[in-house]
Amino acid sequence: MKQEISALMDGELFEDEAEVLLGKLKRQPDGSRDWATYHLIGDVLRQPEHIRCGFTESFHRRLQAEPTILAPRQHKPQRVKHYALSAVASVMALALVAWLSMQIGNEPAVQMANIQQKNAVRPAAYQVNDYLMAHQEFSPSADVQGAATFIHTVAAKQ
Amino acid sequence: MGDREVDQQLVERAQSGDKHAFGLLVSKYQRRLGRLINRFVRNAAEAEDLTQEAFIKAYRALPAFRGDSAFYTWLYRIGINTAKNHLLAHGRRAPTSTSFDAEEAENFEDASLLHEVATPENELMSKQVVAVVNASLQQLPDDLRTALTLREIEGLSYEEIASVMNCPIGTVRSRIFRAREVVATNLRPLLGTSENNRW
Repeated sequence: MKQEISALMDGELFEDEAEVLLGKLKRQPDGSRDWATYHLIGDVLRQPEHIRCGFTESFHRRLQAEPTILAPRQHKPQRVKHYALSAVASVMALALVAWLSMQIGNEPAVQMANIQQKNAVRPAAYQVNDYLMAHQEFSPSADVQGAATFIHTVAAKQ
Repeated sequence: MGDREVDQQLVERAQSGDKHAFGLLVSKYQRRLGRLINRFVRNAAEAEDLTQEAFIKAYRALPAFRGDSAFYTWLYRIGINTAKNHLLAHGRRAPTSTSFDAEEAENFEDASLLHEVATPENELMSKQVVAVVNASLQQLPDDLRTALTLREIEGLSYEEIASVMNCPIGTVRSRIFRAREVVATNLRPLLGTSENNRW
């Protein structure tokens, strides 16, 4: 366990390993002493002129007198909530865009189909054909058509 | 998993009612925070009291800590405010008014101030601890001493140390641990073995 403590204080353990080790440290006071001693060694090597004693013992008494904190973990749940909200917002936005595009794509087609249907049935049947028949002799092909009619009439008389 | 993530795990445990986890943070940062506060008040006894007060304030404020900044940054801010409020309450001025930040204070070298006001007993104890650590370091084999020095003084990661020493990361991990354990073995008689030891 000591080697793991050494690696933990250097930030060289994986998260799950650290979680397990911190659980062990809580149950085993020897591990906490090793943690404190290793940190003391590091501080002595870096700043030997700033080493003081007598702190932990007196602070430990004060800390034990404090009421225990029971606060919900805020960091990770907030991050998860943030991601979840982002994902939901993205899906909603996508759905809205898809719905709008379907509306925009379908509506003109239906409208144009209706218009074409109305135009195709009514004028073709009643208006356009009558109009063309009435003006047939003035159309570019009137000479041929008129001649054909005349020929047919003569042939019928013969 | 870096140093900040280790602190965050300890904070989350403390937020869930684990006082022991907060104690580990105290063990880790007590000297750095004490050095910072001493820079303000220039009195070792006052600095120690204020360091305790700052840690207690931090403990009480833990529910509000959300991990937006590193724990030590948050802690140092509490330390600075504690020191400034103390000076204000006693009609004293902080060393500088607004431009004094944690990093500046931490890097400031002012060892003589601390030694001038330390009690003789503490002074002796501190000197003994420093002497044992230095003597132990000198007795270490070269590879162990180099690995520990690169880690603790140069602040290199295991990967960087492995590159410098041309060895696997697992070997670096083992060397650093063995070096620490040799020094710790020499220190333990001096530090005592009670659960609430002095360090």
